[in-house]
Amino acid sequence: MSMGKAKRYVALVAVLAVVALVVTGCGGSGASTAGSGKVTVDIGIGAPLTQGATALGQGMVRGATLAIDDVNASADAKKLGITFVGIQGDDQGDPTKGVNVANQFASDPKLVGVMGHLNSGVSIPASAVYQRANIVMISPASTNPQLTQLGRKNVFRVCTTDAVQGPVAADDAITKLGKKAVYVVDDSTPYGVGLADNFQAEFKTKGGTILGRDKTSDKDTDFKALVTKIKATKPDLVYYGGIYNAGALLAKQLKDGGVTAPLMGGDGLYDPQFVVLAGAANANGDYATSVGLPLEQLPQGQSFLKEFSAKYPNDKPAAYDAYSYDAAKVIMESALVAAKSVGASSVTGTSGRQAIIAAVAAFHGAGITGDIAFDKNGDTTNKAITLYTVTNGVWGPVK
Amino acid sequence: MQAQLATIVQQLINGITLGSMYALVALGYTLVYGILLMINFAHSEMFMVGAYVGLFTLTGLTNPHLVGGLAAFFKGSGFGLVILFALVFVVAMIAVGCLGMLVERFAYRPLRNAPRLAPLISAIGVSIFLQNAVLLWVNTMALPFPQVFPVKEITIYGSAQVSTLQIFILVTVIILLTALDTFVARTRMGKAMRATSQDREAAGLMGIDINRVITFTFFIGPALGAVAGIFNGMYYGVVLWNMGFIPGIKSFTAAVLGGIGNLRGAILGGFLLGIVESLASGFLSTGYKDVVAFIVLILVLIFRPGGLLGESVVEKV
Repeated sequence: MSMGKAKRYVALVAVLAVVALVVTGCGGSGASTAGSGKVTVDIGIGAPLTQGATALGQGMVRGATLAIDDVNASADAKKLGITFVGIQGDDQGDPTKGVNVANQFASDPKLVGVMGHLNSGVSIPASAVYQRANIVMISPASTNPQLTQLGRKNVFRVCTTDAVQGPVAADDAITKLGKKAVYVVDDSTPYGVGLADNFQAEFKTKGGTILGRDKTSDKDTDFKALVTKIKATKPDLVYYGGIYNAGALLAKQLKDGGVTAPLMGGDGLYDPQFVVLAGAANANGDYATSVGLPLEQLPQGQSFLKEFSAKYPNDKPAAYDAYSYDAAKVIMESALVAAKSVGASSVTGTSGRQAIIAAVAAFHGAGITGDIAFDKNGDTTNKAITLYTVTNGVWGPVK
Repeated sequence: MQAQLATIVQQLINGITLGSMYALVALGYTLVYGILLMINFAHSEMFMVGAYVGLFTLTGLTNPHLVGGLAAFFKGSGFGLVILFALVFVVAMIAVGCLGMLVERFAYRPLRNAPRLAPLISAIGVSIFLQNAVLLWVNTMALPFPQVFPVKEITIYGSAQVSTLQIFILVTVIILLTALDTFVARTRMGKAMRATSQDREAAGLMGIDINRVITFTFFIGPALGAVAGIFNGMYYGVVLWNMGFIPGIKSFTAAVLGGIGNLRGAILGGFLLGIVESLASGFLSTGYKDVVAFIVLILVLIFRPGGLLGESVVEKV
């Protein structure tokens, strides 16, 4: 190596070292401070964005984005000099991808918490990653009861569980809809199986007949053989534990195959995309329960709808936009509470993150979806469930 | 008893429809394998792209804003519908056939004399590329396939019904399969394909333009895959960027089941797999349909390693 080359080599190494110092220097101490006490922190949004229930996942991003805008404009955030930035992680509704996203979030030293995930099957393994890093996680949508029963102090949710939703759906099916014989199908995910189990148990207890139970996959498109099997048992209701992607195809193929009984499901079916994929003619008369009350009936619902349509004029809120707004807001307001005690710059350090978890556990306030407070497991105390049906191609509450 | 028999008949109808789609896709795998000894894992994406092209052609041709009064003609009469679907299939077959040729030219031909793993990896790369291209440029969400085809149920036995769409699928598939079989058996190009598949170098020495044969193979296979993709969209009602994955694996299985490299084997394997799957999900459990399908594959491979119709060649290279 000649002298000139060697010099250049040394210079390159020196530049790299400086860059490395700057990069790790920023990262090491957590929240980045720029200028006069201004702190920028991240809030993770973990949702299926390219695969899986993307219509619901994109709704989660919308809801969280609205909440971030609101909190950044609030007096508290300005006084403390904290700005929140939403970081999206695409979990594709897949547990493996979800854990990757969780690890990515956990390696972000500026993270205050995670709003997510959608699918229970993703939330459960991801929550273990967050627990190790003292990161608070609030799911707006994961309804499998197991999620909050694993003794993880950092895990919360603003939607109620399938231990509530399943039985309410069964009671509604029997008393409101007068159904007596049901065929139960699930999609083999923790969400779908849990919901279908809870529904089935209550339906049986209340004197209904279970004609059969079948497992499918959440990525199945062919239900023709299953439909033939269901048709032979002559049910007056088909219950599906799963998400609208496959659920809509089941609804379509049931009607195509000559099954006249309506399809009923949980919050995973309650999305306009269900009607689009199944076709309005096939979806009409199908049922879904979903968590909480309809937005129109909530005190803050109207103002949320107004704010929503100002920011997203071409969209309509999906099932979890408002829940995601609430979940993100609880995380950010708790982060502000923690910042007051530990200081804005160390809010993403270990003590700051523990203070955030404590603040979320003690949180009590009015959200878009109703009063928000958590029990000792981290479940919401708001246990309302609403039954919806498709009429003329549009989901609406059953009167 | 009669009700049970009707259920069996209905499951057979479901299975035959599913199997006919597997058979179409399996032909694409088997054609390429027969000639290049290569497993074209991008073939499942030809199925998917075919479904998208078919969907867009169909919605385009039935949109009055784009084609004016033609839309009413296409949807209005039986004759119009025939022309409409002929156009949809021809456009998709040509587009996807050309895509197949492009993929061969740029992703496989440079690797033709490379170790056999290289084109396989290249094929997986093409598959991921095409999936993500559709994901980014078209839509992340599933698109519904409009029901333009007039679907009517015809009762044939007890409660067992066959729909006009199922008849349409089966008849089209049988016509295509017969046409391909005759083509390979009777025509000059078919003879060249068979010669190339027996011994590529010797065929080249005899004056056969190997590149032309391979390019042609990469047109036919994907074109058939495109037809299966459109059928899949029409039959199940939805088109999605990763819709090719599972049917692709199943069809590959069908090709192996029948004896990969053997055209009639692929057809037999496709129908067999479809019927086994339907019966398994109808009489055992839907969750077990793949288990049963793959048990059948394993059993066949234990007793006939070359597949049902394949000849057992120890080492072809």
